[in-house]
Amino acid sequence: MSQPANAVKKPASVKKTILRVLLYFVVLDVCVITLYPYFAMLCTALKNRVEIFSGGTILPVVPLWSNFIDIWSRAPMAKYMLNSVLIAGGSTIIAMLCGIPAAYALARMKFKGQTAFLGFVIVSQMFAPVVLLIGIYQVMQRLGLTDNILGLVFINAAFNQAFTIWLLRGTFMGISAEMEQAATIDGCTRVQSMMKVLLPVAAPGIVTTLIFIFINAWNEYTVALCLISTDTYKPLTVGINTFNGYNMIEWQYLFAASIFAIIPVVILFMCIEKNLVSGLASGGVKG
Amino acid sequence: MKKFLATLLALVMVLSLAACGGDKGGDTTPPPADSGNTETEAPPADAGSGEKTAIKVIAAEYGQNTKQWWADFVTEFNGSHDDIELTVEAVSWNDIYTVVNTRVANNDAPDILNIDVFADYVADDLLLPIQDCVSDETYAKFYDAFLEQSNIDGTIWAIPDLASARAMYYNKDILEAAGVEVPTTWDELKAACEAIKAYDSSIYPWGIDMTTDEGQAAFAYYIWNNGSDFTDASGNWTLNADANVEAIEYAIGLVKDGLTNTDPANETRYALQDLFGAGKLAMMIGPNSIPTYIADNYAKANTPAEEQINYAFAAIPTNGGNASVSAGVMDRFMVFDNDDSDEKIEAIKEFFDFFYEDTRYSDWVLMEGFLPATSAGGEIVAASDESMAPWVEIVGSCKFYPTAKAEWADVKQGVIDVEQQALLGGSVKELLDNLQATIAG
Amino acid sequence: MSTKTPAAPAAAQELAKKTPRPSGNKKFFRTIEPYIWIAPSIILMAIFIVTPIVKVFQLSMSKVTRAGLVKGYNNFENFSKVLKSPAFALVLKNTIVWTIAVVVISTVLGFMLALVLNNKFRGRKVARAIVVFPWATTLVIQASAWNFIINKDYGTLNTLLMKIGLISSPVNWTPTPGAYFAWEIACGIFVTIPFVTFCVLSGLQSIDASYYEAATVDGAGYFQKLFSITLPLVKSSLTVATVLNIIYVFNSFPIIWTMTKGDPANHTDTLVTYLYKLAFYNGKQGEASAVSVIGFVILLVCASVYMIYTLRKGDDDL
Repeated sequence: MSQPANAVKKPASVKKTILRVLLYFVVLDVCVITLYPYFAMLCTALKNRVEIFSGGTILPVVPLWSNFIDIWSRAPMAKYMLNSVLIAGGSTIIAMLCGIPAAYALARMKFKGQTAFLGFVIVSQMFAPVVLLIGIYQVMQRLGLTDNILGLVFINAAFNQAFTIWLLRGTFMGISAEMEQAATIDGCTRVQSMMKVLLPVAAPGIVTTLIFIFINAWNEYTVALCLISTDTYKPLTVGINTFNGYNMIEWQYLFAASIFAIIPVVILFMCIEKNLVSGLASGGVKG
Repeated sequence: MKKFLATLLALVMVLSLAACGGDKGGDTTPPPADSGNTETEAPPADAGSGEKTAIKVIAAEYGQNTKQWWADFVTEFNGSHDDIELTVEAVSWNDIYTVVNTRVANNDAPDILNIDVFADYVADDLLLPIQDCVSDETYAKFYDAFLEQSNIDGTIWAIPDLASARAMYYNKDILEAAGVEVPTTWDELKAACEAIKAYDSSIYPWGIDMTTDEGQAAFAYYIWNNGSDFTDASGNWTLNADANVEAIEYAIGLVKDGLTNTDPANETRYALQDLFGAGKLAMMIGPNSIPTYIADNYAKANTPAEEQINYAFAAIPTNGGNASVSAGVMDRFMVFDNDDSDEKIEAIKEFFDFFYEDTRYSDWVLMEGFLPATSAGGEIVAASDESMAPWVEIVGSCKFYPTAKAEWADVKQGVIDVEQQALLGGSVKELLDNLQATIAG
Repeated sequence: MSTKTPAAPAAAQELAKKTPRPSGNKKFFRTIEPYIWIAPSIILMAIFIVTPIVKVFQLSMSKVTRAGLVKGYNNFENFSKVLKSPAFALVLKNTIVWTIAVVVISTVLGFMLALVLNNKFRGRKVARAIVVFPWATTLVIQASAWNFIINKDYGTLNTLLMKIGLISSPVNWTPTPGAYFAWEIACGIFVTIPFVTFCVLSGLQSIDASYYEAATVDGAGYFQKLFSITLPLVKSSLTVATVLNIIYVFNSFPIIWTMTKGDPANHTDTLVTYLYKLAFYNGKQGEASAVSVIGFVILLVCASVYMIYTLRKGDDDL
């Protein structure tokens, strides 16, 4: 209650207090349910195999922190993680570089085939990557990009175009063109007016898009599995599966490694979250 | 904040470009292997290190030690063969079919493949007769019966890399506490299960795996030990033979009576092994590698001796007075026909000679607790590990799936589907009749 | 579908007029300029998505051997084989149930969650970060974790409930294929909610607070404001999110594959897991491609109908 409440300002009342309590109750519940699998994962990651399969314990009898250390020697985790960062980061950049101009053109220009292009973008997403594996491999082979991180960067960027374009188009269209016009009168070229005027205002939408692409690329599994054969080029998602073998699932290692895999995304999100909120809170006009 | 982000992104971009550049640089050896399909062995682009023959191997990942074993193997092999550049990619069983099929469909087959199936590749003329790719000395090492498993139309297409055999494992303490003897017939088995259930309802008496992973094994255990088979003596499919229907009805009956694990359609053999190791499952049919598996787990967990299970293995129970049949599973090496030059064939021979060198080979087999497919390997393994000796005996006499038959892949999926339909209440007789009609008709 | 605000084209024209350097090529340049802007995106998608799609269509009409070699066209034999297979109807039904259940429930819950998280409260930042968790986790892991939790023999859910004293002996959470499928749907919803929540949240945050203030002055209640201000304004971002969601969920593979592989006997298969098994377990890539073309047609029809319907209405509102 100490914080200023909703956008709607009203004198504090009993009703509001109840709502507030309810709000916290709901948020708490959501957090508990969401975190439960991670709690289970963490507990399991600290157990030994025999204890896991005997069941009957929630917390590990003796926490086996060495599991978290073991995974680094059992598999090149650091390498996997670096690869994942490169793939997700690279995909995000390329998806944005291709997506921003396209979204800009759709929002600010009128041209023939606009609707067709928008439709095409959606339709392009309608095949699951699993289905396209054989075709994708063929393309990569022609380009010499099999077993290459760059290939995954392009694939992820391409598969995220629909989202990038649609979301950014919406964002751009929601922003009045007046300021850009003014900038143009001041002698800016179109590219300059976009870069200097539109993009800063659209920052929240861009940040949201960025997170989406990054997370999607970070989590991609099937294509990476097929394209990458050298162990040291594998992203985390594929690499972690070392512990999810055919002969045995090593739950403790699998979960320990997974916890490491989640951390970067959550950190990234927390860094960006502030931007996501503040940029918008000030009414969408912010340099 | 924005600055931070921009810097971060710029950093990532630089890194990714650097990495990609690095890839390009490091990629100099694979291209000749890729293009080897179209041109006859293009000269390697890597000018610095002289002319090396590249061999690409895709190998199945049998367990936790496989990857490291191959990594060491590659280092050793490349260290002692200056003119050969060997790369081995160990792929988990979950993914290996996806990986191999994708590559084959794109004319990017490996040179050597280590997997279980081979008939499909033969059907498409993708393989070289294995005898052309293995030196005579090495070829002479294999058990004849094993080589015969890879015989299609008089040509041997693959050599076994290892084998495993199955038997019934039982938890001695549970059986003793429930007051039952080790069952040898189906009737005894059912009685034993009922006694165990009566003794402690929280223990599963019998383990059955009818999953997509290995449901065909269950099918084989029961029909073979009911004196029947997938085919008749002349090799015609006899999937709906009366003895088969009886066998599967018996197995499904055990599930329906609540004498098995809860969900045989989803619980794989590995899940069963874990239950068995935890003392929650009294009996199951499993491979010879179970002791290694359980001992490894105990060792890693520092399980005190009194908490470890006390178990042994025996022949799989049979019906109608038939002799007990052990199921054998064999995996293979095969060589893809990539228009190889003579040097390459020589290099491949070198690879096999190196692999099947007796001590290295027995090390390979023991690594994950499998059984050797060569007689020399068998002797070494039996001598070095006493517990393996009876298994080396068994593997010589067990039955194998009819993997050389072209329809096997359909049969395998078919029988798994029959089992799962039957678990859901379908009639075994009808299901098998339909399957037989689809396969043979 | 050109949902342009009237201001935008006018602005575009205005901008174009002001472009410096009036030359003979100016008009030509103005015509092709938009295409230059969309070119990178088109090239990217053409190479990496369209080419593989063409390949799928090719395969769907070809005879493909088990090892994956293409042996000429066989007309529509793959399609007729697929449609004749008794499992197909079941799989199709599962796919529809799966898609509708996951999309509808996660959209509703995700929307509600976004409304909650849009309030200012202590710990909002932490709460938002936590909500991201399921999304930041690879689906394979997420599904493994749930599979582990609901396991009858050593799952943590049974252990937890037994410790609390709610149950006395382990419960079999997946006694029937239907129950297993329900868990898979639950898992799907769990991982999809964050996506919806953040789509809506980004829409919510661009709503000017003055709208609400004005409505409050007019004496509008919470729900009135929700339906007359929030929903219409969030709609465009929600529409796109939902269409993409339908596509993603329809094509979702890892959850079902990790939890049941579609077993027993196709009772939990969706089109994608079914075709994966066809392609890589049964070696029938031709038929698998046919299944994916069928899936594509279904998606195309559903998504177009949905988009035309919602965006038309959106146009009227604007």
